[in-house]
Amino acid sequence: MKFIKNDHLSPELPGFFDDLVATPKTDIGMPEVSRREFFKISGVAGGGLVLGLAMGSSPKAKAQAASSDDVSTLSPYVQIQPNGRINIFSKNPECGQGIKTGLPLIIAEELDCAWETVDVVQAEIDATRYGAQFAGGSMSTPMNWMAMRQAGATARAMILAAAAQQLNIPVSELSTSDTMVVHATSGRQWGYGEFAELAATMPVPAPDSLTLKTRDQFKLLGRRFTGVDNNDIVTGKPLFGADTRLDGMLFATYTKCPQIGGKALSFNEDHIKSMPGVVDAFIIDQFGNPKMFNPGGGDIFSGVAVVARSTWAAIKAKRELDVEWDLSDAETASWNDLVEKAYALQGQDGEPLTMQVGPPGNRNTVAASKGDADSVMANAATKLSAFYEYPYVSHAQLEPETCTAKVENGNVEIWAPAQIPQSGETGSAVLLGIPAEEAAERVVLHQTRIGGGFGRKLANDFVFEVVAIANRMQGTPILLQWTREDDMSGDYFRPGGFHSYSAGLDGAGNLVAWQDHFITSTGNDQGPMTSADLNPNVFPMDVTDNVKLSQTMFHNAIPTGPMRAPSSNAFAFTFQSFMHELAVASGKGHVNFLLDTLGDPRLANPENPGSMHTGRAADVITEVARLSGYEQESNQPGRAKGLSFYFCHSGYVAQVADVSVTANKEVKVHKVWAVADFGFIHNLSAAENQMEGGIIDGLSQLFNAKITFENGVIQQQNFHQYPLLRMPQSPELEVAFLEPEEFSPTGAGEPSMPPLLAAVANAIFNATGERVRKMPLYESGYKLV
Amino acid sequence: MATLNINGQTMDIGEIDPSTPLLWVLRDELGLVGTKYGCGIAQCGACTVHLDGAPVRSCQIPVGNLSSQQITTIEGLAAADGTLTPVQEAWVELDVPQCGYCQAGQIMSATALLRSNANPSDADIDAAMSGNICRCATYTRIRQAIKNAAAKMNGTAFYDAAGAGETA
Repeated sequence: MKFIKNDHLSPELPGFFDDLVATPKTDIGMPEVSRREFFKISGVAGGGLVLGLAMGSSPKAKAQAASSDDVSTLSPYVQIQPNGRINIFSKNPECGQGIKTGLPLIIAEELDCAWETVDVVQAEIDATRYGAQFAGGSMSTPMNWMAMRQAGATARAMILAAAAQQLNIPVSELSTSDTMVVHATSGRQWGYGEFAELAATMPVPAPDSLTLKTRDQFKLLGRRFTGVDNNDIVTGKPLFGADTRLDGMLFATYTKCPQIGGKALSFNEDHIKSMPGVVDAFIIDQFGNPKMFNPGGGDIFSGVAVVARSTWAAIKAKRELDVEWDLSDAETASWNDLVEKAYALQGQDGEPLTMQVGPPGNRNTVAASKGDADSVMANAATKLSAFYEYPYVSHAQLEPETCTAKVENGNVEIWAPAQIPQSGETGSAVLLGIPAEEAAERVVLHQTRIGGGFGRKLANDFVFEVVAIANRMQGTPILLQWTREDDMSGDYFRPGGFHSYSAGLDGAGNLVAWQDHFITSTGNDQGPMTSADLNPNVFPMDVTDNVKLSQTMFHNAIPTGPMRAPSSNAFAFTFQSFMHELAVASGKGHVNFLLDTLGDPRLANPENPGSMHTGRAADVITEVARLSGYEQESNQPGRAKGLSFYFCHSGYVAQVADVSVTANKEVKVHKVWAVADFGFIHNLSAAENQMEGGIIDGLSQLFNAKITFENGVIQQQNFHQYPLLRMPQSPELEVAFLEPEEFSPTGAGEPSMPPLLAAVANAIFNATGERVRKMPLYESGYKLV
Repeated sequence: MATLNINGQTMDIGEIDPSTPLLWVLRDELGLVGTKYGCGIAQCGACTVHLDGAPVRSCQIPVGNLSSQQITTIEGLAAADGTLTPVQEAWVELDVPQCGYCQAGQIMSATALLRSNANPSDADIDAAMSGNICRCATYTRIRQAIKNAAAKMNGTAFYDAAGAGETA
């Protein structure tokens, strides 16, 4: 059976995107920096020096930029106004990861600004000017780190050059500090604004002539900075998708078949249209294949739209809908059937797993297995086997899907809380039959703050739905509001799956062979559903010589998609729990077993700079063990610590949980220690926030999160059936970061969560002797208190 | 023609379906969109407002049941000149929000707690805040922000374990 990449993802996404949404692998080099070229932009409100970047990914944009100062081809990043205020443009969607604050901070550092003189402006969505703008894969910081620094340094160099000319002082005698040009000899200083007009006439320095700051010269980066939208959030200002208000707008609901994939044939139209406040109600046909995750395809399920004068009128009418559905293409899968079939495969191999390697467009299919696991296993001193299970889960972001759109005269305007807004534009054009070459002109998307993403809003189905509704309501802005029930039963879920593991230890207790038969789902009978694939680079397979991987796929097209730390959000539980089983069997202690498995400091795959560095892995494990006192005190019955390590999205995280377990399986998580290496931490507050949130998210998933389906119908509808962790269950947290000098920043949003799953499960084993091999733990009788 | 007392003002809501939850009246009729929809069944607390000072879930209150009660929403906390309340200030300083969608409801619950209990214990905070879900899981900071706000309001030392003093 083939291991198929998610090549159905929309083509305009950057080439690495299928990798980052599908797997936790990180063979994504840092973006090329030597040829970045900045250009001056004229005609921007506020005036002064405006620097833009011609996107390296678009030769056409670059050529246009080189030949003119045309604003339309350049992306403004920084503007120094004559009045002394600095505008910094933040290009990527903000979904709680802190990027709207984080990217401008990097520019401000190299520009040598006082943060108080900076105003952050949310950039427009525009692929030709800004290149890829998305929130996913913990990539925003690493992809933009060097370009943002160069933007700031370029602007600073031009301000200095202008100051030297205007003041008639050699540039070598001038320096900068806190948005001021300083002449140390005379003790005089001037604000940047005084030189902004002249700087706009200065030549743009070549990138290789810039001197970037060293880490010890940073004044802003590395400290804690609060979110630039905080004041608006705490005062209830309109920021989010559903806060969009337009003249003459109407409100809509959209109702799809409870059995996923059913198509609306008819509904009680007369009754619905007679309800107070209802303006119109109609069926929308399915477009494309919405069971498959495809952010830029325009795919939508069939359903019934109700358009009304208020959200409540639309919800009330939705509740009275009586729809006749065509179920011929509807899903019929049931989770309990999959579980039964999966457990019947325990201890057996599946089809040999293959993977595709090489550059996109020229990939080769190779075996995912390596070495000779069968014979090494046969001769192993100790052999262990275990079967692990994890369920489907819902993203459950607190903002249910919502989007506003207006379609008029063949043009589309959209206001969306979307994680890949550019794909929202692309797919809307596809849906309405707008030719691709006209899409940039005719489809405009304004990004709003996202009320929680976690990967759910990488899909743009809710954008396409409102575009389809607005297309029927020509000229009228329509705000589509999903109910929580729509959201929970209409997700692109984190897929459930099963691992049948075996592993062998040699006489010294060293890991010598690893086997995994991965049992998953396919919608097209060719490759796994999105985020339902096995990545052969998961630790410890990446550092084990003899690995045998096989796979079984059951036909099941319940929609799936990426969720925070795709696949890692499940594998970290199964792999690192089984690693603890092996550690116990080895008799070496957990920390020593992990360190011995990691071996000497090196890249796990020397040819892949994105592969795990064993030395960085060992360092976070060693440090979290020291910080938490892991293994320095003996565990007692009923109270113990557990440890886990995971590497994904370029981030190294080790966590230790201190738990008590009562006789009736009530679990109290007293404290969690986390040590992470994300390279340099440029905004400490945001990084801590991601780690704190990731840990508690992990607890919620470990104990409680489970979506089930029967005959294609999702069984959970709202939070009373899908409980999220609340404040009383929230543990004490202690977070520390290792920041090795030689490594640039990587993202924190995703790698912060996965290790928690096994850390707590391992602690429960240490406290009780019971190994739990199935998430969520409530199904094994455990209750988080 | 019906009116409501919201944030100290009498607001005209016209002829409206009396079954409409206060949440949707605030958002759709009055443009007070700071109060959020999260679940519609009083499970998440995103829609929390004050009714005569007490925290309530506005998704569960049909507007027809309201008469002269004083309603306060997130928009009504800060002073007219924009001066934040100690709770709002603590939220900003400690950088509590991640996505921020639940925070209006969290702040309304915390504000009501501190009004009735100037020095809440951890157990008091747990009890008062357990109706509010934060999917981003900012609970650690919410707890600390409530303590910081209490200290501000009591004029006592500003206890700050998480280092908010360093923030800019």
